[in-house]
Amino acid sequence: MIEFQQISKKWPDGTLALADVNVRIPKGQFCVILGPSGAGKSTLLRTVNGLTQTTNGQISIEGVTLTPASAKTLRRRVAMIHQHFNLTLRMSVAANVLAGLLPVVSTGRAILGWFEPAHRAKACALLARVGLDSKHLLRRAGELSGGQQQRVGVARAFMLDPEVVLADEPVASLDPKISREILSLIRDAARERNATVLCSLHQVDLAREFGDRIVGMRDGKIVFDGTPEEFTDERVEALYHGAQWEDQPAVETEDLYNDALQPQLVAA
Amino acid sequence: MDIKPIPVPAQGTTLGWQLDQPYRAKHLLWLLLVLAVLLFTGHRTEMDKMVVLTGQAVGNLVGLNDESQVVRGLSRVGQSMWPPAFGTEEEVARLTNLDRNNLPFLATIETHEKVEQHLNIDTLQMEESREKVELLVKPLGYVWTVFIKMLETIEIAIWGTLFSVVLSIPLAWYAARNYSYNKFTYTLARGTISLLRSMPELIVALFLVLAYGFGPIAGVLALGLHAAGFLGKFYAEDIENADKKPQEALEAIGAGKVKTLWYGVMPQVVPQYIAYTLYILDRNVRMATVIGLVGAGGIGQELKGRFDMFQYDHVATILIAIFIVVFLLDQFSARLRAKLI
Repeated sequence: MIEFQQISKKWPDGTLALADVNVRIPKGQFCVILGPSGAGKSTLLRTVNGLTQTTNGQISIEGVTLTPASAKTLRRRVAMIHQHFNLTLRMSVAANVLAGLLPVVSTGRAILGWFEPAHRAKACALLARVGLDSKHLLRRAGELSGGQQQRVGVARAFMLDPEVVLADEPVASLDPKISREILSLIRDAARERNATVLCSLHQVDLAREFGDRIVGMRDGKIVFDGTPEEFTDERVEALYHGAQWEDQPAVETEDLYNDALQPQLVAA
Repeated sequence: MDIKPIPVPAQGTTLGWQLDQPYRAKHLLWLLLVLAVLLFTGHRTEMDKMVVLTGQAVGNLVGLNDESQVVRGLSRVGQSMWPPAFGTEEEVARLTNLDRNNLPFLATIETHEKVEQHLNIDTLQMEESREKVELLVKPLGYVWTVFIKMLETIEIAIWGTLFSVVLSIPLAWYAARNYSYNKFTYTLARGTISLLRSMPELIVALFLVLAYGFGPIAGVLALGLHAAGFLGKFYAEDIENADKKPQEALEAIGAGKVKTLWYGVMPQVVPQYIAYTLYILDRNVRMATVIGLVGAGGIGQELKGRFDMFQYDHVATILIAIFIVVFLLDQFSARLRAKLI
């Protein structure tokens, strides 16, 4: 369970990224956050594990309030899946997955790369679970395709059996088929562990398909909160309208062609 | 097909703009000023004289004029350096435990007649006395000496590099803005690095020879301290410039600074670190030949000694040896780099 209470975030330049956000996401829910670019989706996700400090308000995860002191232990219970996969590309797939265990492995063991057999077995099992063949195990992560890299990212996120999974536009750079596969993986793996998922997306169809609940954000505020069924086309229009088109010049193409027939010199 | 042409210029186009021009009148003025300064300093650094002397030398070589200071000086040095000294000769009488039946490798005993002029005090006339001298000749004796000294130089360079790597790793950690504990440790580390880098090896070696005496200790420490300034700076800047994305992923789960550095940064920067370290090794070998001049061990010490005794043929051998080593090291590090990166 994640609870946002009157969360607001003001960047040093004065922009208000989050304005008084109040949401409660019950345990085990797959909650999708939708909204135009710059609406504050990523910022909201990043406040949960403290990557972004809030200006105001309180976040609690499974009843534990997030403070600088509790952040260290809370972060172990909160996994994150990133838009750009964020793997160490020059490191092997196995090392990238095992890196998900770093908070619970001693520094000495981590530096020597001595992971317990149980840990290595878990890495193998998770890689198999996300559909990555074991022949990739010792390949460099940078040699994998985008979809395969995100599979590694998902495996890494589930290494510590998180209670909360934050997915920050996990499929933004992947094709529709692989996007569905990755989102299914995240949803199913989270269900097996009864983990809460907070996932920001850009694709409305995927949001309707995978979300138990859709939260629409705009200008740092929550403007829609409901089930996929309630998120009708009119609601979609209301969420995105104005934001996408307001900067476009209103020039009719036909006018351009007509002008070409009588070329005018514009004063230099 | 009724494809309409794209209208040029389109309605509302303004052409009152240009790309930034790289040069303006201001730059021409600066150029003139720089030229004026160069003329002034060129005279002070005797660049005009250099041109005249070089011209004379070229003229002398093609037979236009008879006299050239440069050619005369160079040919005198060239004559005394050629041929390079490869062998050694020692008087057998001075060698205490020489086994005549079991001479060293390649060595032979040659007998020379030594002619000495004496003044006979009674007759007040010069007299010749002939004396037979046995010499132990080692045809590659001096090459061997240079080889041993060169080995010592390379050892100094390797230990200096090792010393600098060990010293620069903690320096780099504190001098990387995103991993240093606070602004104070960052400034302290950066200050140390700048200080180390600002002290030339030769000067440091000079002082360390006073502290540790003649020999390789001063050489290793001087090379190590100076190179640590370089490596610390390069290592730290690579940590700062490494891709932030994997680091953020590890920070997000609370991996801790050391483990994040090891798993999120090191794999990215290690190839560069190897390249830097190889460069420092290469540089240290070259510098190790020089710092011997102030008594910090190795081939430089031998070079200085021979130079001071005007034995330019021995100097020639040493210079050839230095060239060969630098060339081989260049080949070696290029190959290693290609293999590791």
